[in-house]
Amino acid sequence: MAEAADYDLAIVGGGPAGQAAAEQAASAGLTVIMIDEQARMGGQILRQPPVPFRVTNWLPGGIYRRLKRQLAQTEARRDVTWRGRTSVAGLFPEEDGFTLLIAGTAGGGGRVRARRVLIAAGCYDLPVALPGWTLPGAMSAGGVQAFVKSQRVVPGDRFVFAGTHPLQLLVAAQVAAAGGTVAAVLFAQAQAAMIARLLRAPLIAVRNAPALLGAASAYLALRRAGVPIRFGRTVRRIEGETVVTGVAPAPVVDMICGPADGATIACDRVALCFAFVPQADLPRAAGAAMRAGAHGGWATQADAWMRSTVPGLYVAGETTGVAGAEIALLEGRLAGLAIAVDAGRVAAGAVSGDVRGIRRRLARLGRFAALLDDIASPAGLIDQLPDAETILCRCEDVRFGAVAAALDAAAAPRGVSGIKLITRAGMGLCQGRTCEHAVRRLSAARGGQVSAAGFTPRFPVRPVAIGDLIR
Amino acid sequence: MRIEHDVARGAAFEILVNGTPCRAYAGETVAAAMLAGGLAGARRDTAGRPRGPFCNMGTCCECMVTIGDGDNRRRMRGCLIDAAPGMMVTDG
Amino acid sequence: MTEAADVLVIGGGLVGCATAWHLARGGASVLIAEAGDLNAGASGQNAGSLHFQIERRFLENGDALAEQAARTIALSRLAVEEWRGLEAALGGDLEIVMDGGLMVAETPADMALLEAKARREAEWGLPTRLIDGTEARAIAPYLSPRIAGASYMADEGHANPRTLTRAFAAAALRMGARLTVHTRVTAISRIAGGFVVHAVRAGEAIAVRCGALLIAAGAWTAAIGALANVHLPVFPAGLTMNVTERTPAFIPHLVQHVGRRLSMKQAHSGNVLIGGGWASRLAQKESGGFDLSRPPMVRPDALEANLKAAVDTVPRVAGLNLIRTWTGIVAITADQLPLVGEVPQVPGLYVAAGGSAFTLGPTFARLMSALILKRSDAEEPLEMFAPARFNHLNGFMG
Repeated sequence: MAEAADYDLAIVGGGPAGQAAAEQAASAGLTVIMIDEQARMGGQILRQPPVPFRVTNWLPGGIYRRLKRQLAQTEARRDVTWRGRTSVAGLFPEEDGFTLLIAGTAGGGGRVRARRVLIAAGCYDLPVALPGWTLPGAMSAGGVQAFVKSQRVVPGDRFVFAGTHPLQLLVAAQVAAAGGTVAAVLFAQAQAAMIARLLRAPLIAVRNAPALLGAASAYLALRRAGVPIRFGRTVRRIEGETVVTGVAPAPVVDMICGPADGATIACDRVALCFAFVPQADLPRAAGAAMRAGAHGGWATQADAWMRSTVPGLYVAGETTGVAGAEIALLEGRLAGLAIAVDAGRVAAGAVSGDVRGIRRRLARLGRFAALLDDIASPAGLIDQLPDAETILCRCEDVRFGAVAAALDAAAAPRGVSGIKLITRAGMGLCQGRTCEHAVRRLSAARGGQVSAAGFTPRFPVRPVAIGDLIR
Repeated sequence: MRIEHDVARGAAFEILVNGTPCRAYAGETVAAAMLAGGLAGARRDTAGRPRGPFCNMGTCCECMVTIGDGDNRRRMRGCLIDAAPGMMVTDG
Repeated sequence: MTEAADVLVIGGGLVGCATAWHLARGGASVLIAEAGDLNAGASGQNAGSLHFQIERRFLENGDALAEQAARTIALSRLAVEEWRGLEAALGGDLEIVMDGGLMVAETPADMALLEAKARREAEWGLPTRLIDGTEARAIAPYLSPRIAGASYMADEGHANPRTLTRAFAAAALRMGARLTVHTRVTAISRIAGGFVVHAVRAGEAIAVRCGALLIAAGAWTAAIGALANVHLPVFPAGLTMNVTERTPAFIPHLVQHVGRRLSMKQAHSGNVLIGGGWASRLAQKESGGFDLSRPPMVRPDALEANLKAAVDTVPRVAGLNLIRTWTGIVAITADQLPLVGEVPQVPGLYVAAGGSAFTLGPTFARLMSALILKRSDAEEPLEMFAPARFNHLNGFMG
């Protein structure tokens, strides 16, 4: 492990929020290091192709334009130290700043000392369990999209998309445009319900027309290509021996159903797209106050300047709650200004105009994010998907039936950490990121007062070789 | 399946997956090279059944593969490891 | 609501549940009151070592402590038998492995400590054997070439702390004991022939009338003792444990280090557990004092030193992924020896807390139940752990 390096600011996450914050902080004269597991800056929204690739016409479309401009600006800065392919395993508050234990994704460790830290770690796809979802070939839609965006690989031949989030239309269209076959796109909610929710706030919808038009044009492109898009249907079972060979689609309980059920759709990939969960393990483990994420996980509480409740620790973007890249970028800019002010490099009065403008735009975008979340919500549509034999904790192979039995036993633990201790659910490599939300809902369904807690957060937030943690 | 339009890759090389050659390009992740080569499995579960890449962003750890040989073997997330010529990759 | 029991056990950890089982088997009516979840404290958070050799913490502080520690060997010998019979007695797989343990040495100073330790153990009849590095590696090929020698004991090993307490609790319930969880004791009054203990369960006040009271509340023992107006000098300490990813079995033994803080083992599931007494930082209350309701914070330097000791001893773990470091709160006493027995100032009040209570816990429980039931043969092995040694603290109490 290398010796410690010192910075005024360490930013965890190279997405729009981190980029915007880096720009502000570096402009104010702070020394900044940005750490990310990906090789290049961009975050998941702009996950860039590898450096040796030459890609033309990368991510066309208006929705990416503003974000690409910020990326180009931040990447061009010489005063922001970039540490790609690096995991932050732990964040430790100390007297005058923080120590971050870092490790290369391909090995090699180190320490970074920083007086302030910004966590802008983005989000990940809500992992929704259903029978067969552990077969190779079942993936999150975000994972599929990243292969297409960055690696320029269509990671299979014939895809079924299933979920509740309109993003799956965009990913399906990208897969089709890249030469993959999309066998079906299944929305678990009814089309009428989606449209009704949209029409509840027509003004917000119209003001954010470009984002909606992206989904609409993807919808039309898929329909033109003859891809069936079904509502009120989802995947009942993913079939296959060692790899996905098909799905059995089923109508969702209590929803309006499409054509008669029973058929199996042949495919070799299933992309699941229900919702997104904040990446917030680091602030949570550092003791910051959290609130439950809308559909799982934990969102870090922030004040009007993006300060967490831990002194010196700032948060921005999806780490504070999933709301999209535009909001992340603005929150990042706000956090960068706050850090510059708190460090005494900029007078608060000098940025008050900027800050007012940012907050106005955040409020407007926030209303659209809430509308989108309402339309896309998986609430009530996923808990009936797994059966007792379905694997809940993928890391430790713990099934829903085993967790239910532990919850129903005499003197069952009240907190889900106690369920973890008994069943091993959440004790594996991913630290419970995949299964915690499902355990919490199972427990809540039994009247437990569990949603307030969650698994106790533990170091390291990503697996790291022991040899990389010692000097 | 690799997308061939609008992209120029560098020189191709081979990695060895369970001893079998698998084509890769500079900058590709092990997970991408394996999927492009039709290999959807990565780690093994407790019963020895294959698991494959799920989140493709370092969060789920389902794409763990063993990289290297002998005493230098390490299990790493295949979606965060760049392929290198002759790299030895083992599932599980 | 008032309940009655011959014995009320405060604390649903290993010692509390195991004592309740023995008491119920002995015909007593028993109620276990646990403030939170069963097995949520040190009983479920420790790493499950079954260590019987004299611990290094007793060797690093001079002769007097070491001599005292040597006298615990009588209890260790009982504990070996206890563990050998536990799965049969409780009727279940507790993942008990007793395939041997090595306390290793790296330096000449380490070897000298091992030799001094071996003399004391021989004197008190503990079957350990000093071996050189070559023999150590023949027994344990995973050990580093740095290892100069070891003390080997065939009975050492490990068990699964996640399941043991619950197995005792289930056995106690089968014998008629009762259990109430999320029940916080708020007051203890002495009455003729026993106690009335007040508690709150789900917002409801309850009272328990009992003849005898056992405090087996780990780090919370001092606070419960205060309710009975006695000082039980037990202090909380934050510890750290590390666990690697699963890997095929290669460490069948318990491995400890005589010169450095280290204990290692490979659990049934294949994960390698690494600990040995490295500190974590106890959370603080805003009003001052330690906050035992929150997990202690990992200390990066302690973490690194622990892992370094592990890699120096078993080099292969350097290539394994660390997947979790957890912290827990243990209870320690001023003289590092457990506090087990009746409190002289308050007849009928018993305590069992403080140190090595996983390895020795089932034995403490059996002896403690005999003490409470006034059966003979219990006094002697527990004598040196008796609360009477802290009488000077309770001269104004009781």
